[in-house]
Formats: sequence, C-alpha cells, structure tokens
Amino acid sequence: MKTREADSWIVRPDDLILVTGATGFIGRRVVKALLELGFRNLRCLTRLACSAKGFEEVLRAHAGSARVEVVTGNLLSVDDCAVAAKSAALVFHLAAGRGEKSFPDAFANSVVTTRNLLDACVAERTMRRFVNMSSFAVYKNSGNPKWRLLDESAPIEDHPELRGNAYCFAKTEQDKLVMEYGRRFAIPYVIIRPGWVYGPGNPGIHGRVGIGTFGVFLHLGGGNTLPLTYVDNCAEAVVLAGVTRGVDDEVFNVVDDNLPSSRRFLRLYKRSVRRFHSIYVPHALSYYLCCLWGWYSKWSRGQLPPVYNRKAWRVSWKRTRYSNAKLKSRVGWQPSVPTSEGLRLYFESCRIGGSNT
Amino acid sequence: MGVCDREPLMARQLYQRFPVRQYFDNLDDLLSRARPDVVHITTPPQSHFRLAKACLEAGCHVYVEKPFTLCEHDARELLAFADARGLKVTAGHDDQFRHSARRMRELIQSGFLGGAPVHMESYFCYEMGRAAYGSALFSDKNYWVRKLPGGLLHNIISHGIARIAEYLTADTPDVIALGFTSPFLRSIGETELIDELRVIISEEQGPTAYFTFSSQMHPSLHQFRAYGSKNGLVLDQDQETLIKLRGQRYVSYVEKVVPPVSLAKQDISNAITNVRRFLKRDFHMKSGMKYLIESFYESTIRDTPVPIPYREIILTAHIMDRIFSQMRKSPEFNGVPCLAAETT
Repeated sequence: MKTREADSWIVRPDDLILVTGATGFIGRRVVKALLELGFRNLRCLTRLACSAKGFEEVLRAHAGSARVEVVTGNLLSVDDCAVAAKSAALVFHLAAGRGEKSFPDAFANSVVTTRNLLDACVAERTMRRFVNMSSFAVYKNSGNPKWRLLDESAPIEDHPELRGNAYCFAKTEQDKLVMEYGRRFAIPYVIIRPGWVYGPGNPGIHGRVGIGTFGVFLHLGGGNTLPLTYVDNCAEAVVLAGVTRGVDDEVFNVVDDNLPSSRRFLRLYKRSVRRFHSIYVPHALSYYLCCLWGWYSKWSRGQLPPVYNRKAWRVSWKRTRYSNAKLKSRVGWQPSVPTSEGLRLYFESCRIGGSNT
Repeated sequence: MGVCDREPLMARQLYQRFPVRQYFDNLDDLLSRARPDVVHITTPPQSHFRLAKACLEAGCHVYVEKPFTLCEHDARELLAFADARGLKVTAGHDDQFRHSARRMRELIQSGFLGGAPVHMESYFCYEMGRAAYGSALFSDKNYWVRKLPGGLLHNIISHGIARIAEYLTADTPDVIALGFTSPFLRSIGETELIDELRVIISEEQGPTAYFTFSSQMHPSLHQFRAYGSKNGLVLDQDQETLIKLRGQRYVSYVEKVVPPVSLAKQDISNAITNVRRFLKRDFHMKSGMKYLIESFYESTIRDTPVPIPYREIILTAHIMDRIFSQMRKSPEFNGVPCLAAETT
C-alpha cells in the first residue's frame, strides 16, 4: 500500500483503534492493513467467540509488534458498545447485518447497532473519526449530476423503503444516522461506499451480473461495467480514508481500475470456475420485466415480494460508469491488486469451493 | 393504526415502511394515545403475558403471536382475564388457516375420515442453516430464544402441536417426549440446544398422535396427516396441497394401479387450484395469517366465536409444558423454566 507520511494521519501509531466486524470478510483485511501501516494498538470487536481462520493468521503474524485486543460482544448491547468504544481514538465500523430478506433484522443490525456505537463514542469523547462502512446500494442511480457517471455527488435513495431491498433500506438509514450524529454532536466521520467487494471468501455471482432464482441463470448485466473492488484494495481504501487528515465528513466510493463488463466477467467465470447455461436478457426487456414485477407485486398486495422494480433495476442493471478519482486524489489510494490478478485469485477460490481465506 | 417498540428506531422503521399513523416507544403511550381496538403482540414470548394483560386491562382485544405464553398456567390466566372483561384473545397459529388447512378441516368435519381421527402425525421441521435465525441463535449465547422454558423448541413447535391439539378430546393427554442435540449441532460445538424432538401423544379413549421436529431431516417437512376409521388426509403446508387417502383397498393388482393414478390426479388438481388462487391474488405466503386476522377481527366486531377455541390454546400449552418438563431431565437442556409452571 502506497501511503503518505505518517504526519498526515489523524492518529498516532499507539492510539487505540476500534474495528467492529473485525473477523469479517473486509474486517480482517482492514486489521491487517492497519497493522502493516504500523498501528500498534487495536481493539477488534467480534460477535462470534471463535474467530475466523484468516483473522488468527493476521494476529499471529503481528503478535510481537502490536497489541491487538479481541473483544466478543454484540453491538445491540449498549454495555458491549461502551466496552468496545472505551478510549478509542478512531472507529472503523464494519459490522453490519446483511439481513437478506428481513427488514427488521437488517435494520436492527445496521442502524440500531450504529446508533448504540455512536452513543458510546459520544459519551467517550476520545474519538477523532468514525469510519462508516456503507455501500453502493444506497445510491438511487437516477438523476445523477454527471448522467451515467456514478460518483460521490450522485443522490442517495430518498425512499429506500420502496426499493424492496432490506439491505438498501438499512444502509441508507445507517448513513443518514451517521450524518445526523455528525451534525448534532460534531462527530467527524467518513463514509465509505464500496461497489461489489469480491475476493476469496465471498463466492457466488453478484446480482449485477444476473440472477439464478428461476432455475436458469439470467444474464442481466450485458455490457454494463461492474463496480468491482478487490477485498484487499477495498480494505486499504477503508484504512487510508480512516486515517488521512483533512477528509472529515466526506464520502468515498471504492471501485478498482480497469473494471470488466458483466459479459466479460461471466465469460471468465464460466471459463475459470464452472460451465453453466445462461440466457442474456436485453436491457429493455429486463427493465420492463422489473416494472411488470413491481406492478404485479403492488396489485396483488404482496403476493410476490417487491424485490424487482424500476428502482431496483436502475441500481443493478442500468448502464453506469464509476469513478474512484476522489479516493485517489484525497487519500492517495491506489489499488494494489490489479483487477486481472484479483479476478484470477477470486475465480481460483471459487473453483476450490470458496474457501474462507 | 399505531406501532410500538421499546427501541424507538425499530418503531420508526415500521412507521416509514407501512401506512402507520403513529409510532411509540412504550406501551402505555400506544394504549392511551392511539386507543387501539385490537393489539397484536409480536415481541419475544417472555413478554407476551405481561403485555397482553396490560392491553386487556386497557380494554383491547389481543392477538398474541406464537408461542402464546411461556406455560399453560399463564395461558389459562390470560384467557380467564380476557373472558372476565368480555374481551377476545387469539394465538398466532396462522398455519392452521392456510387454504389447505381449512379444506382439511372442512373434510374432517364433513366426516371424510369416518369420524374423529384415530391417529395423527404432525411434522414441523426447521432448517437451522437459514441465515438470519441460525446465525443469531448460534452467535449469541444470550439470545432470547435460548432463555425460553423450552429453548429453541419452544419458539418453533407450537404450530405443529396446535394441529394435533385441535383434534384431541382429553384435557390432559399422555405425552412421551424424546429430545436430543443433532450430530450437526454437536459438530459445530453447540451442545446446549435441543434441535431434534420426537413425541407420542395419546388419550385413553381418543386419538393418538406422533409429533416430529427436526432441524436435520430432508425434506424439511411441514406436514399434517390424519387417519380415520375410513380414510386419511395428508396436508403439505410447503406445497399447499391436500391429498385424500382412500381407506378401502382395490382387489389384487388393481390396488397397484388405480391408487397411484388417483394420487397423480389429485396432485395435478392441487397444482391447478394453486395457480388459480395465485391468479386471483389469493395465494399469499402468509394467507393463513391474513385469514386468521380477518376472522379474529370479525369475531371482535360481531361478537362471534373466536377462530381458535381457547381450549385448543390451553391444550397446546399443556402439551408443550409436558414436553419441556421431560426435556428438563436431559443434561443438555438449557431452557429456563417458567416460574408459574414450576410452582403449580
């Protein structure tokens, strides 16, 4: 990771840094990146008592040079949040409820947990920045100031409850909450919005490429660019945005360079991982099918869940370009793993069963 | 309509997502300001009794999600309390009101079985791998489900037990239960939860029943089978089908040919019925809940009988108490006893 001088950071190497969701897919890479940057005092909050294999390896590698405290706790507990936030100078809040279908579950584990943690940080008064992990899911991808270009200036979903996506709803509300705390309590924050974070440990094909729900894989992405970011690159972006001075209250989108199209990704996947049949659905057709699904869901009073609709189509399958210019210029991030190499590693892990490494 | 959650953010998210006029973060405010006619209690079961009683005291009819209460004692007290105030209560046993379940009830009442059931089999399984529930349960040793008198079983089995209770005639049937931790849970280091249960229920002069709960068997069945002196019926909740089993046998090889054809015909008929209902917008995943809520509201407005007789709610709680009291003898069991049940 190319980094600026340590004096451009908001924390010193011995300041306490809290990482929530530290054993997760991105979390353990964030811990690794922090340790590699020379930060020596970390507190890792994890929900499960048993930690992931990759996480333990990271801890072992830095056992002598850094103090890493692993705390088991649940962010739904105010007491656990108080313990986690105690004396923390910087918080990387990566824990989130994926709650694929359940709105209450996603909301509780994203918004309520974030509120509890923010309250603990406000009470603690030692925090210099709160780094909030968000997602591209919060963008409405309609009415973008730069038309097809989705960057940090793009509007976020104003009615996330109508998207039919629990994750989108929870993440949008989480972002709003962080900004509100920033205003009310003068908490400096940074919001990170990665695209599709891929890499070993996260197998499967993203919905932006297509869906296999109906028995056959429907390729919906076509020639669209995929907003990929390799998990190690994403973790480095999170860390740099978290520690770099002068970026308070900013939002950063994270995508890598040289992004492939959905069609190219699918071709490579089939060649490298496994062969299967897919049917390409042209954009116009997928748009009208989503509209039809949304209309039927409403007309039938929820006989079909409203997961496909016009809003969902815009976010997942509308032709869009992405930018990482702000991230590069403001925090000096450069993707250390090229997309070609990232895809190779990802496909390899998918082929051997998506091992959680 | 108003919603209430002790966590204001959770109350607000409901308000955002549904056409709800008000949201509250405490029950007293909900009762005094929204002044509801009916309150739906969908909190963890540990609070059902207390909240339902508070709502009844405020003059509201109450719909309590399953499991109704923590034990039979609480169920009896709550229902008596409602009766004394002229208010109505129901339990969220909505699976009994799905299309196929209602059709089955009609057939049994019309005498298709040849009288009351002789024997019943109820399967109510649950795939522990299902993301949200399983991960919350395994990752949090203080998860509320673990603290129920019947642990994990308490939160899940009442649907399957209520189906049997509907057709039992005695108030105190014999219950023999065998519960254990599946090899899968043991393999992931989870030894405190019982996720496999087999139960035999019998009455001296009435029907007998088997109940099965499994987190491991596949298909993960949600079935109810009732066998009478003449015929049988098989309800499959997942497929929303009802199959009639003919009691009389055909002669010789005809028995090998005609019944399979008849079954195939019934399967096709079930599929057509399901498609027809879907096209008529009457095939929601929670159609049973919709029907139960509508029936309950109607009973409160017209003062007609409640959709689930109180006897059935009490009997369901009784059978569950009997199951959990036997589980408690197991060293693996970590359910927290219901104090009311323990003292009576």
